[in-house]
Amino acid sequence: MRLQPFKEQNSLQHRPTTTDPISTPNMPRPREAGRYPSAAPSETSGSTSPERAADDDTDFFMAQTNDSQSSIGVANFRDSHPQDVRSVPLPPIGRLPPEILIAIFSKLASPVDMRNCMLVCRGWASNSVGILWHRPSCNSWNNLGRVTTSLGEPNSLFNYADLIKRLNLSALSTQVNDGTIVPFNQCKRIERLTLTGCKQLTDKGVSDLVEGNRHLQALDVSEIKYLTDHTLATVSRDCPRLQGLNITNCVAITDDALLEVSQKCRQIKRLKLNGVWGVRDQSILSFAENCPSILEIDLHNCNMVTSKSVTALLTTLRHLRELRLAHCTQIDDSAFMSLPPTMTFDSLRILDLTACENVRDESVEKIVQAAPRLRNLVLAKCRFITDRSVMAICRLGKNLHYVHLGHCSNISDAAVIALVKSCNRIRYIDLACCNRLTDHSVQQLATLPKLRRIGLVKCQAITDQSILALARPRAAQHHHSANHSSSSSSLERVHLSYCVQLRMDGIHALLNHCPRLTHLSLTGVQEFLHESLTTFCREAPPEFTQQQRDVFCVFSGEGVTRLREFLNKSKAPYREETEATMYDDDEELDGEGDGDEGRMAGMMNAAVINDDDDEFLDVSTLNT
Amino acid sequence: MSSITLTSSDGIEMSVDRTTAERSVLIKNMLDDLGDSGDAVPLPNVNEAVLKKVIEWCEHHKNDPPSASDDDDNRRKTTDIDEWDQKFMQVDQEMLFEIILAANYLDIKALLDVGCKTVANMIKGKSPEEIRKTFNIQNDFTPEEEDQIRRENEWAEDR
Repeated sequence: MRLQPFKEQNSLQHRPTTTDPISTPNMPRPREAGRYPSAAPSETSGSTSPERAADDDTDFFMAQTNDSQSSIGVANFRDSHPQDVRSVPLPPIGRLPPEILIAIFSKLASPVDMRNCMLVCRGWASNSVGILWHRPSCNSWNNLGRVTTSLGEPNSLFNYADLIKRLNLSALSTQVNDGTIVPFNQCKRIERLTLTGCKQLTDKGVSDLVEGNRHLQALDVSEIKYLTDHTLATVSRDCPRLQGLNITNCVAITDDALLEVSQKCRQIKRLKLNGVWGVRDQSILSFAENCPSILEIDLHNCNMVTSKSVTALLTTLRHLRELRLAHCTQIDDSAFMSLPPTMTFDSLRILDLTACENVRDESVEKIVQAAPRLRNLVLAKCRFITDRSVMAICRLGKNLHYVHLGHCSNISDAAVIALVKSCNRIRYIDLACCNRLTDHSVQQLATLPKLRRIGLVKCQAITDQSILALARPRAAQHHHSANHSSSSSSLERVHLSYCVQLRMDGIHALLNHCPRLTHLSLTGVQEFLHESLTTFCREAPPEFTQQQRDVFCVFSGEGVTRLREFLNKSKAPYREETEATMYDDDEELDGEGDGDEGRMAGMMNAAVINDDDDEFLDVSTLNT
Repeated sequence: MSSITLTSSDGIEMSVDRTTAERSVLIKNMLDDLGDSGDAVPLPNVNEAVLKKVIEWCEHHKNDPPSASDDDDNRRKTTDIDEWDQKFMQVDQEMLFEIILAANYLDIKALLDVGCKTVANMIKGKSPEEIRKTFNIQNDFTPEEEDQIRRENEWAEDR
C-alpha cells in the first residue's frame, strides 16, 4: 500500500503526509502558457516545510523553535512566456523534485547564495524565490527601500507579496512610520510580524497591515504607545490563528479589546501584556476559559490583576509553562491557597512573583508542593517570606536552576546552606540585600558545580573569605566532571556591589580562577574606587547622578580581562600557571535546560526588566 | 538479532539486520504491516547499487539516538556534516542524487538531511554560472528576465 513508484512519488498526489520528510503544499504544474497565480500554500496547508536554515531573528517569538513553523512554497512566474520545451537530456540534478530542491536551498544561510540559485534557471528560480522572500531582510533603510520597490513593481517576475511569511522591522524602529509600511499592506500571508519599538506607528498603519491576514500567527507590537483597541479589534476579527501576542507597554489598550482577543483568537499560546495598565481580571479570566493552549503569560506591572485571575490561570491552563506576575501587587496568598488541594501543575517551569509582597510563606509552600518541576522561581522583594519558604523551595531539588530571593532579608545562613545542599543544579542565584547572610552562605554557594551567576549586592557581612571560596576549585564537582578541568569555574557574572568589606586579594583570585567571567560589579566597594582600576570600568548609565557616578564600578566583557591583566602585572603572586580549559555548555546532560535559559534571556530583553539587574539594585539601594 | 530481506528494483535480494533497516520509516511501517511473515520487502524504486549505499549508511548510523537530529538540525545554522558522512557522500552526482531520492522515498530523514547539506555545500559561494557548470544546468532565461531577477532581488546582496 505504501509503496509508490518514483513517478507518483514525485507527483506528490498520494503521499502519506504524516510520514513525509518534506512536503510541499502545492506543486507547480508543468510549465504551460498563460498566467497562473503563485502556488503559495493554500489556506489548509499543514505548514510543514523545512525551516529556513539561517534564522537570526531575535524577537520574542523567535526563541521558540517548533510550534509554528511557517511554510515555504513554490512560486510561479507571474507572466510566464514558456521557452520551447527542448528535448535536452536532463542533468542528474534534474531528477530532484521541487520539495527536495527546496530542502537543499533551505540549507543555504546567505541570501546571496539564494539569489544566485534564483539566477541559475527558471526551475530553480521558482523553487528558491519562496525561501529568499520568506523573511526579507530589512536591516537597513536602503534594503527596506529595495524590498518595497520590488513589492510595488506591477510587472514583477514573481508575486513577492504572497511569499513574505516573516516581517521584522525592529532594526529600523526609530525610522519606520505608517507611510513606510504601506507597501506591505498587500502581504496577506505574513505569519510573524515583528514591529517591536516602532514608536511612530499608529493604529492606521498597523491595522491596515494586519487587516485581512488570516495567516498571522505572531504579532509583536511592543512599545508602540499610540496603538489602541482599534488595532486589537482588527486582530480579533481577522487573525483567528494568532498564537503569540506581545503588546508590552501599549498603554492605551484596554481590557475590553483583550476580552475580544480572548474570545476570537483561541489558539493563543504566548501572551505578553507587560505594563498594559488597563488589564483587568475580566480579560484574564476569559483567556483562562477560552484559550487552553496558553503556554506563557506575562503580566508584569498589570497591577489591577488580582488573585482570582492567578487561580483561574493555574487551574484551567494545563500546559502553562511560564507565569510572570512581577509587580502585580494585589496578588496575595489567596491566589495559591484556593487552588484545589490535590491538583498539580507539572508543566509549570517559570514563576515570577517579584514584588508580590502579599505572597507569604504558606503560598510558597503550596506552590512548591503543587508545581514540583519549577525551574525558575523569582521571589525578589517578597519581603515577608522567611526561612520557611526557602526550606520549601529545597524540595524542588535538582529541578531548580534559577532562584531570585533578592530583598528577602529575613533569610538566614541556615536556609541558604540547606538550599545549596538540596538543589545542586542551581545556575543562577540572587540574594541581593539579604543582609543577614555571612561567609557561611557563600562558602556553601561556592560548591554549586554549575553556578554561572551569583548576586550578592549589599550582602554587607561577607568578606574576602567568601570570594576566596568562590575562586577555589570546586572539590565538590568530582562526580560527573572527570573529563573537565576541575579548576575551571563556571562563574560568568558576579554581582558584589556594596559588599563593603571586600579587598583586592579576594577579587584578584576570583579573576584568575574564573576564566569565563564577563561581568563583575563592585559599585560602592571602597577598595576599588581608584582611578587606576576604574579606568577599566564601563561608563555609568546616563541617568545616574554625580553621587552615583562617584561610586559606580562595573567591569564587563573586555573590562574584566583588562582588570585581570592589570592586577596580574602589578601583583604577581596570584598568577596561575595552568590555564583552565573552557568546556562547552551545550554538552549539558539535561537537554531542556539551556533552551529555557535562552528563552529567559530573550524574554528579559523584551521586557522592561534591565538585564543589568545589579545596577537596578544598586540604584535602588543607594536611594534607600 | 533478526534479519529481514529487501528486494531491490532490479530484483536483487539483500539480507539486512532489522534494526538497521528500520532507520527507514517506510520499511519500518511495512514490516509492522506485514507482521512476521518473513516475506521479502520489495523496494521497486531503489536499485541494488543505491540500496547498498543506503544500507551502508544505515548500518553506520543504526545506533544514533532516534529523531535526535530533529531539533539539532533546525538549531544548527551551518551545513556541517560529520566526517564519516562527508566521506560517504563522496560519490558522483548521479549516485548522490539517487541516494537523496532513495532517502526521501524510504523516509530516512537524517540521510536526506546529509544529502541536502552536501548539495548545499556545492552551491555555497558560487556564481550562477559556476552553479550551472557544477550541475550541468541549461540557462533558460532571457537576458531581460535575468536582469529583472537581479533588479528585483537586489536587497539580497546586502547583508
